[in-house]
Amino acid sequence: MPSTPALLLILASAFGAAGLYLALAGRQRSLAWTALVLLAAAGGALIALLAPHLAGGATRGWFIVLSLLGALGGLRMITHPRPVYSALYFILVVVAVTGLLVLMQAEFLAAALLIIYAGAILVTYVFVIMLAQQADPAPYDRHAREPFLGCVAGFILLAVIAFRMFAGASDLPAADPLTGTTLGLGTRLLTNYVIALQVAGVLLLAALVGAIAIARRKAENVAEGESD
Amino acid sequence: MLLAYLLVGATLFVLGLVGFVTRRNLIIMFLCTELMFQGIVINLVALGRYPLEGHSANLDGQVFALFLLAIAAAEAALGLALVVLLYRYKGTLDADALKLLKED
Amino acid sequence: MLAAGPTSLLPVGWYATLPFWPLLGALLVGLMIVLRQKPGRAFWPVVLGVGVSTLLGIALFFDLGRSASGAHGPSGFTHTLYNWISLGQPAMQRNQWLSVNFYFDGLTGVMLLFVTFVSLMVVIYSIGYMRDHHGHPERGYERFFAFLGLFVFSMCTLAAAGNFVLLYLGWEAVGLCSYLLIGFYYPRPSAAAAAKKAFIVNRIGDFGFALGVFALYMFMKGHAQPGENPLDYAVVFKYAPRLAESQFAGMSQATFVALLLLCGAVGKSAQFPLYVWLPDAMEGPTPVSALIHAATMVTAGIYMIARCGPIFAASPLALEVIVGLGAIGALLAATMAMAQYDMKRILAYSTISQLAFMFVALGCAAPQAAIFHVFTHAFFKALLFLGAGSVMHAMGGIIDVRRFSGLRHFLPWTYRLMLVGCLALAGFPLLAGFWSKDEIVHAAFSHSPVLGVLMLATAGLTAYYTFRMFFLCFHGQKRLPPEAGEHPYESPPVMIAPLVVLALGAIFAGYLGVGGLGTSLNETFFFIKPHGYFHHYLEASSLRGHVTAGGSSWLMYVSALVALAGIGLAWRRYGTAPEHDPDQAALGPVFNLWNAKYYVDELYGRVFVQPLRGLAHVCFGTDRFGIDGLVWFFSAVPRAVGATLGLAQRGALQGYALLMLIGVAVLLLLWRWTEPALAG
Repeated sequence: MPSTPALLLILASAFGAAGLYLALAGRQRSLAWTALVLLAAAGGALIALLAPHLAGGATRGWFIVLSLLGALGGLRMITHPRPVYSALYFILVVVAVTGLLVLMQAEFLAAALLIIYAGAILVTYVFVIMLAQQADPAPYDRHAREPFLGCVAGFILLAVIAFRMFAGASDLPAADPLTGTTLGLGTRLLTNYVIALQVAGVLLLAALVGAIAIARRKAENVAEGESD
Repeated sequence: MLLAYLLVGATLFVLGLVGFVTRRNLIIMFLCTELMFQGIVINLVALGRYPLEGHSANLDGQVFALFLLAIAAAEAALGLALVVLLYRYKGTLDADALKLLKED
Repeated sequence: MLAAGPTSLLPVGWYATLPFWPLLGALLVGLMIVLRQKPGRAFWPVVLGVGVSTLLGIALFFDLGRSASGAHGPSGFTHTLYNWISLGQPAMQRNQWLSVNFYFDGLTGVMLLFVTFVSLMVVIYSIGYMRDHHGHPERGYERFFAFLGLFVFSMCTLAAAGNFVLLYLGWEAVGLCSYLLIGFYYPRPSAAAAAKKAFIVNRIGDFGFALGVFALYMFMKGHAQPGENPLDYAVVFKYAPRLAESQFAGMSQATFVALLLLCGAVGKSAQFPLYVWLPDAMEGPTPVSALIHAATMVTAGIYMIARCGPIFAASPLALEVIVGLGAIGALLAATMAMAQYDMKRILAYSTISQLAFMFVALGCAAPQAAIFHVFTHAFFKALLFLGAGSVMHAMGGIIDVRRFSGLRHFLPWTYRLMLVGCLALAGFPLLAGFWSKDEIVHAAFSHSPVLGVLMLATAGLTAYYTFRMFFLCFHGQKRLPPEAGEHPYESPPVMIAPLVVLALGAIFAGYLGVGGLGTSLNETFFFIKPHGYFHHYLEASSLRGHVTAGGSSWLMYVSALVALAGIGLAWRRYGTAPEHDPDQAALGPVFNLWNAKYYVDELYGRVFVQPLRGLAHVCFGTDRFGIDGLVWFFSAVPRAVGATLGLAQRGALQGYALLMLIGVAVLLLLWRWTEPALAG
């Protein structure tokens, strides 16, 4: 008989897998409620599992809220048949992650994440979705591809990782405080990681040039295999 | 606390992975990779913030995540450009339409 | 070792090149073939090569004769070309090499003389023979001369070899050339089959021969001193008497080796029971039959036994076996020859019979008589075969005596020359065959009277069937087959000239063994025969110390009478070349038995060939299904695995990603199970 955490973990994984499977695009509407129940049960089990490991106080509450938000956003993102809605749910996930980062005293990173992801990347995504969009949800959006295998494999992965983590749970030290993150970040970037900073700049330049080059190609040229 | 954050990160990652494998729309596939990135960011920062035995809380995780952000942005730009090109070439966003890797 | 005789006329090294001139000629012809020269002149390199060898052979003969006339005891020359094989690490330190060395003594001199001379005659004859009626060369003209050159080289190597390994090399090489030349008309299935048969039957004998050489090596190592090559002639013959003293496998070592060596001789010289290849070998062109299967190659066995005289002399049992085989073979072949109709077959069986005569002589410890007969036989047998070739040429390829008769009107020259040859073969007095055959009969009588009578009777049969063939072919009414064309004409001079030379040889070659230098005419006239030049000559070789067959008058007269009686009987029965064979009418079923060659071929086929063929089928089946099946299996399994795994490659990227995910999940799961249980 496995111990309580293990049991909880297994249950959480099983329910999660089942729920996700049912929730993936292509199932009938009536099953959606079953999926919801299952997922809720999975979420509850996870929370119960994590309960001993959470720090006390307001952090705990915020953490639970934000992580649930993120998980739900993620779930809906991958199961929604319409791409625009997927992008919007992704923005929700980004917001949740931002919140979690703030909880971890990574304020600068949180702001950067929000600006860049939600502000730039997601906007680009939405533009592209608009460009390549049909009127109704296309057939390739409605039916998932090998949902069963995907869910099973994914949740096995999650379960094993989680098992491993919880097996070594007693080895973790207590948390110590962290302050002055923005200043510290800036200092680090310009002293310890200055080369990486430059390389990242070059990388962005390369991406810029590459994007322009790709965008300039015509579709016919690509079909004939000629270079521009 | 670390454990909790790691679990959240893992969950997001797995969700992104399952979505990548399952969805057929090219753009949504890319979006799922972005979701995987989110999970990774949480993991990195958490491991920096609540480090393992022998280290004190540091900013290395955040630095890593910052670079990751830059890379994710570059990758998203290029990937979307390619997707647009593919859409023009094939006329559809279905991933199953791209089977040129198969040997006949 | 050979005693140091008087120095030679020419440097000994020149004699050592004797085998190589025909080889050079053959290689040049090969080059001509490659360069696609006109075949009409392809014979020149080989003619010149064999010609030079003939000159060297004559020079060698006289050179050796100078040292022989007076000396008793062996004398001659040796010459080493180069060191060939080292007999192991310690042997190299002791300077013990197997080398390519030549041994020129009296026996070698005689052999090389007639081999090169008769070969030259045959080569010249072939210039004209291998052309069609319009004078254009046949297909494969150049190839023929190249093979002939190769053959002469092999035979000379065999005769001049100074150790057993080189002898074996020459032995095998002549077998190879025989195969190549018998199967010269290879598109014809019977020719190809005959070539195969010759090679395989020879191989059976050669296997015994090889075992004999191995045994000799094994024994010699025990007797020879360090520094002496155990397979060199000089060494072997020095220690040969010791072989008789040691025992091996229940018999003396000498007997063991002698019997094994005898196997080779039986195969090569077409003795009973390995003679079956020789009649079939007549499928080859007639010059081939003349040279290889009458004059030279088949005498290799006789030569070998004569050469290894010391070994055979040390083993009385082996000598008895030789006598037995020879006697049976002679009589058997003579009876078979009496009932054949193919001229070349008759001559083939007569060759077997004559070789058996030589075997008997060897077995009666009279090797000089055997070699003498080899010498004379080469001339008249080659003459007979080439004459038959002349007939065949004129008759458009037909050689069955039932199809033509009265050819003396059409082919006068051939008629006269064939007459000389037949008389020589029959043992007509004063011709070459008479002297040598008489010596053999005398040797047989001195061995045992029964044997002597048997040999005499066989000689009579020889005369009978020879002239049966002659009369059926040349006498009687003029009858021609349709293939002969309108008017059969005599062969061109290039073919007649060698026949004339050979006929002269058939008449006069015998006198080398009769009357010495300076004998009085009186003695010659009354047929009293002291040992002649020939025998002195041979004495100065490894044949020393054997019974030398002298000539007593009464036996000479009796054998002359027997020969004449045989000829007379043939004249009475066949003189008019009757349509229906009187012998067949008289002897009926016996005649048919002889015609069918005692069904020996069929017997061999049943007993040996069919079971082996069955075995071959079994092996083929095992190879095809067993081994090939195994190989197929080894190739099929990866292919199947590949095909199965290939199903996973569907070309869609997501599928691959899913597979990767599943793979990682499975791996992690497996890893998890090997970890200790979850704590808490």
